[in-house]
Amino acid sequence: MITQMKKFIRQDTTLTVLLGLLIFLILLFGSILQDKFFSFDNIQSMGYQIPEFAFLALAMSIAMITGGIDLSVVANANMAGIMAGYVLTGAVFGLNSGMSDLTLVIIAILVALIVATLGGVFNGILIAKFSVPAILATLGTMTFYNGISTAITEGKGVVGFPDNYLSIGTSAPLGIPLVFYIFFIAFAVVAFVMVRTPFGQSIYLYGENRIASLFSGIKNEKMIIKTYALAGFLSGIAAIIMTSRVNSAKYNYGDSYLLQAILVAVLGGINPNGGRGKVTNVIIGILILQILQSAFTLFAFSPYAKRMIFGFMLLLIMVINFIIDKWGARSKSIAKDSEVVPQEAK
Amino acid sequence: MPGNILEANNISKTYGGVHALDNVSMCIKAGEIHCLVGENGSGKSTFVKVMSGAITPDNGEITLNGHTYRSLNPIDSIREGVQVIYQDLSLFPHMTVAENISMNKMVALGKKLVNMAEVRKTAEEQLARIGETMDLDCPIDEISMANRQLVAICRALSLDAKLLFMDEPTTALTNIEVDRLLKIVLELKEKGLSVVFISHKLNEVFEVADTITIFRDGRKVGDFNSKELSYHSLIYHMTGRNVEYPRYVRKATDDNIRFEIRGLSRPGHFEDVNVKMRRGDILGITGLKGSGREELALSLFGLNPSKSGQVIINGKTVSIHSPTDAIVSGLSLLPEDRYTQALFPTHSISENISSASLPSITTKAGLLDRKGERQNAINMVAKLHIRTPNVETSVQNLSGGNQQKTVIARWVLTDPEVLILDGPTVGVDIASKVDIYEQIQSFASQGMSIILISDELPELLANCNSVMVMRANKVVGFLSNEELEKPDAADRLQSMMSGGGDDFQPSIPVLEAQA
Amino acid sequence: MKRLKKYINQNEWYLMGIILIYSIIVTTQNSGFFTLENFFDVLKGSSGMIILAMGILVVLLSGGIDLSFTAIAMFGGYSAARLMMATKIDNLAFAFVVSAVIGILLGAVNALIIHKFHLPTMIATLGTSSLFSGIMTTFIGTKTITVGMMPKSLRAFGGFRLFEMVNDAGSTYGLTVFIIPVVIVVVVTWFILYKTMLGRGVIALGNSEEAAKRSGFNLFWIRMFIYTYVGLLAGIMGVIYVAEVNSVYAVALYGTELTYIAAVVIGGAKLTGGEGKILGTLLGVIIVRLLNSTLVFLGLTSSWNGFFTGAVLLFSVGLTSYMSRLRSRRNLTFTD
Repeated sequence: MITQMKKFIRQDTTLTVLLGLLIFLILLFGSILQDKFFSFDNIQSMGYQIPEFAFLALAMSIAMITGGIDLSVVANANMAGIMAGYVLTGAVFGLNSGMSDLTLVIIAILVALIVATLGGVFNGILIAKFSVPAILATLGTMTFYNGISTAITEGKGVVGFPDNYLSIGTSAPLGIPLVFYIFFIAFAVVAFVMVRTPFGQSIYLYGENRIASLFSGIKNEKMIIKTYALAGFLSGIAAIIMTSRVNSAKYNYGDSYLLQAILVAVLGGINPNGGRGKVTNVIIGILILQILQSAFTLFAFSPYAKRMIFGFMLLLIMVINFIIDKWGARSKSIAKDSEVVPQEAK
Repeated sequence: MPGNILEANNISKTYGGVHALDNVSMCIKAGEIHCLVGENGSGKSTFVKVMSGAITPDNGEITLNGHTYRSLNPIDSIREGVQVIYQDLSLFPHMTVAENISMNKMVALGKKLVNMAEVRKTAEEQLARIGETMDLDCPIDEISMANRQLVAICRALSLDAKLLFMDEPTTALTNIEVDRLLKIVLELKEKGLSVVFISHKLNEVFEVADTITIFRDGRKVGDFNSKELSYHSLIYHMTGRNVEYPRYVRKATDDNIRFEIRGLSRPGHFEDVNVKMRRGDILGITGLKGSGREELALSLFGLNPSKSGQVIINGKTVSIHSPTDAIVSGLSLLPEDRYTQALFPTHSISENISSASLPSITTKAGLLDRKGERQNAINMVAKLHIRTPNVETSVQNLSGGNQQKTVIARWVLTDPEVLILDGPTVGVDIASKVDIYEQIQSFASQGMSIILISDELPELLANCNSVMVMRANKVVGFLSNEELEKPDAADRLQSMMSGGGDDFQPSIPVLEAQA
Repeated sequence: MKRLKKYINQNEWYLMGIILIYSIIVTTQNSGFFTLENFFDVLKGSSGMIILAMGILVVLLSGGIDLSFTAIAMFGGYSAARLMMATKIDNLAFAFVVSAVIGILLGAVNALIIHKFHLPTMIATLGTSSLFSGIMTTFIGTKTITVGMMPKSLRAFGGFRLFEMVNDAGSTYGLTVFIIPVVIVVVVTWFILYKTMLGRGVIALGNSEEAAKRSGFNLFWIRMFIYTYVGLLAGIMGVIYVAEVNSVYAVALYGTELTYIAAVVIGGAKLTGGEGKILGTLLGVIIVRLLNSTLVFLGLTSSWNGFFTGAVLLFSVGLTSYMSRLRSRRNLTFTD
């Protein structure tokens, strides 16, 4: 039993640390806030809030596993949300087009997903075909997509969506929010794809050493475009969830999610240098962040205090990871010292 | 004792219970060239690090210029005139030649401000000392590897080096550049500098060394006058056994042409290459760096498009535009640079082996067959004698030789018709080398056609049943199996590579223009 | 010509070309663009960005990135203004000292975290950015400082002109006093980078950390300099920002840091370190500011700012990256 546990800990230190932290936080807040924390309302509201930024965090995570980053996730989501919003408010088809609300909603969802996916494809092309470093490419598209949103809306919100669109964000079959089901399914699918398909394996290999993956016959360029398209698609889902929850779309909605998405990815053990990290661990990162969020709300902390604590958390996790790595590296470096040290591929 | 610039007494260093250095003593005389040889992990690098003050030994003392140190720190080491040129050279790629030469001196002098005139003067002086000139304002990343090596030497000289350690200085150089470098090293020796030279290339060791110290398993085997040693006795001392490379004999009976290159050209890279191969052929391709051999290999693998000519496999002309195309057509390439082009260091052996065969371990449902992946890896580990506790170990924890075997396993798993091996034993110790040669020969015996690109003549002579020589982007010679078995084969290859024994051809500028 | 080539690189010629063409187009559309008054306006609007851009250039040259400078600028500027209001010390020098000290201290925090724990600079400063902004808003306050509350010295500083002129419509305009700190910061940055060993150390670090260490540079103090210098510049910029705008919102600049970095990147600095120049950085800032402040002359609202800035950024990084891709394919290194 103990040896099994030791083996488990050694196999995935990130998971162990995260699970420990999660349990600690649940116990901590549970004992302080007691019924307030474990109330149905609180748990259900977590179920509503998690998916909103979880999709952005997921998009960020897969980009980071390739050794890149996607700074455009929020801007892309807003752009998609605004386009969908125009469909929903009748700006595209006119108010008297005779289309049923349901048709409009379906078109709007498709528009959001297509726009966001195209946004991702554009990122992918810049990175794969023009060799723009991901951070610069997505910094550029972040500004650009945001610019498109601002320009076409002139900075105003697109508001007033049909009820059946809003029900995406508000309905809760069996007491569990619909968006939570979507979140759960999407994560399961992405986690499965990452671990069990050649596409997922290629992402990891590329993230570790992209010259070696090129020499291994992996179609780097196609794979990168697909990965960023997937990140875009996930941003599109986030767009639908965000707009349906707040009944509006705006160019600067969810600005703070960019930081949170990176934070959760790093918290979940995604290595910013690429090639390492598990999507399933990111879920635990998301749960931790959400538990903190909810507890802070119950404590009536200001959003500013939350920001402070999140910043602190991010640093703390990075420092802990650093210490664990150093400790792990020391115990491993037996008799390897005098070998030619490989220069890490850039 | 006068005349000794360095005396190391009973130096020991252990890491996690393993002796990296075990009671090593050594003297280095003023004005001698002293070579350290030994296999990877034998303790040479640890010894250099101890002498530079980068690591503190557990036991022993070091005497430099008559001053004895129990624990030497880097500043004392530099003050005593010890300079180390590491294999990666530690230059600043976006800074100029002048700045790279002078930077360390400026730092050492504790300068606060930069005086460009002084920086240039220092650089000019040091270049003059080795009798070279260079564009002082050229950024380092725009000059050749050979010139970078010279910049690193000048930088060391600027700090009044009395004892210069050079770790594998010739790895990235062409033979002509190596000659130029060795000439400079010999000149520096004439001027009284002591040089400690670490190299895997034993011919270079014999060329320059006054004294050779051999390391094995963290211990010193002995100091030898270089004239006392022969190639074979040196290898015997390094490995502790007599190493004989088995000579390959083709046994296949099917003499149909399986692989053919017809008039393949890419101007400036390689011109009018023609090759015909049967099952079980091992064709050596040799030539200096920049002769076109690597460019040709990359072209066959779809990474360097040719302008004209054809590649024919099993009678069908194939068009290869990417490594994926190449693998599908039955052509695989083991790239030259293991660390940057082949390894996924933190991934497992199993994932490293499967990386070029993902399509073949994908089920009809589009999923990876992880069990099959693992089984493949287990088979390969057994077949290639990869020393590892299991296939889940990440490759970064393997020795260089086992890493290389892992990468070879990756390519063998793609079951190629033609396997191109570009420098399969670079940076691999002799024991693994023997293993790798045996495997290459057994793959060929089982029917694979192998192209072996190498500039190690013993490697070519042991494994190939024909060798093609390239020089200045052209095929300049071809030795058949019978010719390879003659005693003059090595000399013939050597002279074809460098151009008919003409040592003074001015080809360095040409090579630089290509770099 | 060869001398000129040494000082102005290809990228900088492109940028000057873009600025020239843009200026010609706007001038043909609207004669109000090519006037001294507009020039002074653009200059005033660019002041804060130029100061921060110098700091960003230093960080990028060292191979790092800093996302916390906007948080530091607001921390410094806002706290200084609040402190002046609370203590009734209405003195400009006091504001600069307070803000600069805050900037240096916060920069030192960045340097310590980055150096001691070997964290990727982007993630580390992303964290400190939230931390700093959160600490300020939680412990110092979030109250917006309106024009009526603003200390007089700051307001005077914001409106002060070195000399004044009168335009055709009869209103006065002139050269902002901000030009003084801007010129000082540019000259000092140039001096440090090119004339001191400290600056060479920053660039050496950006070229190769290992080589810089082996050269004998003290990387701890170099990092300390880099991040405290950015902090100092952010502190100075904070005061200028507070003086420039009439009402100060506590988290005003927070979240705009990537725009500043974009300007420096357009100017040719590489995120991989060791490459980037002061002239290019200035040109990058000018392009971004021109696009941000002169679109009105083309009849476009400020809503189009992001669109054009993004387009220019994508074009410039796309072009340079594609060039290096072609080079790496030609050399058969496949690194890009």
